[in-house]
Amino acid sequence: MVVTSQDNHTTPVTPSSGAAGAVAATAAPSQRSAGRRTARRSGRALPTRSRAARRLDLPFALLLILPAVAGFAIFYAYPTFRGVYLSFTDFHVLTPPTWTGLANFRELVHDGVFWHSLWVTAYFVVLSVAFGTLVSLVTAVVLHRTTRSTVLRGVVLLPFLISNVIAALVWQWMLDPQLGIIDIALKHLTGHSIMFFGSGGWAIPSLAAISVWKWMGYYALLIFAGLQTIPPTIYEAGRVDGASEVQMFRRLTVPLLRPILAMVVVLTVINAFQVFDIVQVTTEGGPANASNVLQMYIYRKAFRQFDFGYAATMSLALFTLLIAVTFTQLRLARANESDLN
Amino acid sequence: MRVRKVVALGATLTLAAVVSACSSGSGGGSGSKTVNWWTWDDKQAAAYQVCATDFEKANPGVTVKISQYNVADYFTKLTAGFVAGNAPDAFQNSVQFFQAYASQHQLLPLDSYIGKDKFDLSRFSVGVDAWKFTDGKQYALPLDWAATGTYYNSDMLAKAGYTANDVDNLTWNPDDGGTFGKMIAHLTLDDKGRRGDQAGFDKNHVKTYGFGEIAAKDFIGQTTWSSFVSTTGWRLGDRSNWPTVFNYDDPRFVKTMDWVRSLENKGYAPKIGQFTTSVSDVDLLSSGKVALETGGSWEASTFAKIPNLKVGIAPTVKGPDGNRSVLSNSNGNNIWAGTKNPDLAWKWVSYMGSEACQSKASTTGTFFPSIPASMDASAQALKSQGIDLSVFTDMLKDKVLYPSPVYGNGAAIQDAIEPLFEAYFAGQKNDSVFADMQNTTKSLLAKS
Repeated sequence: MVVTSQDNHTTPVTPSSGAAGAVAATAAPSQRSAGRRTARRSGRALPTRSRAARRLDLPFALLLILPAVAGFAIFYAYPTFRGVYLSFTDFHVLTPPTWTGLANFRELVHDGVFWHSLWVTAYFVVLSVAFGTLVSLVTAVVLHRTTRSTVLRGVVLLPFLISNVIAALVWQWMLDPQLGIIDIALKHLTGHSIMFFGSGGWAIPSLAAISVWKWMGYYALLIFAGLQTIPPTIYEAGRVDGASEVQMFRRLTVPLLRPILAMVVVLTVINAFQVFDIVQVTTEGGPANASNVLQMYIYRKAFRQFDFGYAATMSLALFTLLIAVTFTQLRLARANESDLN
Repeated sequence: MRVRKVVALGATLTLAAVVSACSSGSGGGSGSKTVNWWTWDDKQAAAYQVCATDFEKANPGVTVKISQYNVADYFTKLTAGFVAGNAPDAFQNSVQFFQAYASQHQLLPLDSYIGKDKFDLSRFSVGVDAWKFTDGKQYALPLDWAATGTYYNSDMLAKAGYTANDVDNLTWNPDDGGTFGKMIAHLTLDDKGRRGDQAGFDKNHVKTYGFGEIAAKDFIGQTTWSSFVSTTGWRLGDRSNWPTVFNYDDPRFVKTMDWVRSLENKGYAPKIGQFTTSVSDVDLLSSGKVALETGGSWEASTFAKIPNLKVGIAPTVKGPDGNRSVLSNSNGNNIWAGTKNPDLAWKWVSYMGSEACQSKASTTGTFFPSIPASMDASAQALKSQGIDLSVFTDMLKDKVLYPSPVYGNGAAIQDAIEPLFEAYFAGQKNDSVFADMQNTTKSLLAKS
């Protein structure tokens, strides 16, 4: 290669700066001493040419990323930093915020409703993640192993196409303790009706069930796509070795699906932590705060009580919590590795 | 270099667009002759349209635009309007949000207008003081007044062997419920037709409850427990306006709540949460689920107009000392501090506060005007439609009404107290919850 030659430093004849750099870098391990020297030299020589080239590229590159950067800066970065700032203030929207330091955080630590809401949210997350992942995994595997019908696959996705509010309203009607179809069926079967949204013990499980029903198709589809990446030869090999369907599911499918499953779990966790609309439509956090999830509490503090400073503090706490949970999950599940190669 | 110019140009254009958008947002509407007025009551929106038409006729070129938003979204939308700068010029407001808006300078004090026009506030018999803020200024004209009455299914009452005279003279005490307690036990029916005071009554399969949803989360209890507990002399606040604490831990209050909960447990009243919020108290009476209930005076004509059902209206119960005591509140008509047409907004608000408008709009029976002459006119008009409001006009005459306290931090108090009431009536908490409630109100009222 021309660049690696020591004698050629006066007249480098590489097609472009980028290629030269790449070659220099890849060449380095094999010809260690020479490569390093060339790299150093080219480091001196190359910029003189690439600087000119880069000067042309830079404005164009900036122009190209401008929409994305502007969108990110205006709609993500600025609100985030403003939210962090507001969490240290007493802010009621109509008057300018006043700096209160750590007062909001002190209030947060001693706010029983906040900790209760956190537990309620965690309960909802555990229920919807456990059942959500399980149901969608089973659905996807059954679909994958039994049918090739695209219609059936589409049907599974149907609940996902319904808006959250509509889904919650329809379920609320069906679960109504006086008029609901499920209640009528229950009364005929057991003689009693259950207040699905009206009793403390049932509120969160009912909400989690709606959420699982709603999202099951979407996650099943993701897992289904993951299943299609597993080569059929593996199952053939399994069958040759005399493995049953259940064994193949446990020993082949699940381990090979791990990256997809990890993603699905991370998505369900984030999704479940953000639950708001179905709660607002059905229980509004009641009865007696039994379904007062964190988002609901934050919303009420901000938009009903106009205590935006404290609401921002709670949002910040949720933000930190979500980052920690997601990071831990991804580390534990080794989501960026696959057992397929 | 050209690229940089393009970028710069693009940025400038965007900025210009943003700036012009802002200026057009704030500039638009000035000089227009439209008054926007908001209410949360769909029936009042229709009722006041009559006044709006008259007002437009008297003021050529002026348009009054009445908008109605459901009460669940009304105050959120109003706040968003304050922030965005497009709130209505004038609007109906509840005392619960008075302090929050006034302390943040969103309401226009009306004193200078009242002085200039020599507007006589004494024309209102109720509600003027409720809209006086801590700074001593008048921020609203009272729009209406409201009280609580007893509504009952006349046929069910007759079947149970009671007359209208019996309901009009019910007595009550927190220990055994008095004659009222006996009546609702007798009115309750299970699915086998046994009455609540008969042997073998099945409280788990009740067909008709003797009494409506008294076990509710409402923290003032205006249409539920308030007309009972106030006969004992109990009052919500430690003083009538701007209280520092709500007296939830008073023994008279705790005893009354125990009685309310006993009704739930005996099956004489529905359990909390049994009927969802989509079922109104009018629905409960019209469907025969409930035989008798207390309800707002603003519902009188709605109750009376239930098809194929004869609904009787009675006063609330007499307390241990033989007197009735009923909470009354007044909504206010506010002007937004940020309005571009304060003079025109005042013209509209003061017209709404006139006898001419009040008499006309209130014939619909959807609200009780605060002006006595209009109230009489309204009662007369409704009487000809077969709706007898004398129960409520008598309350005014007999001075059984007492005003609802004006307090701060209403939304926070509501959000903190309601779950506790729910927990108490659901049997999850015992009487010790009332001390917690009282302490909570103390700290929340201090914050306002």
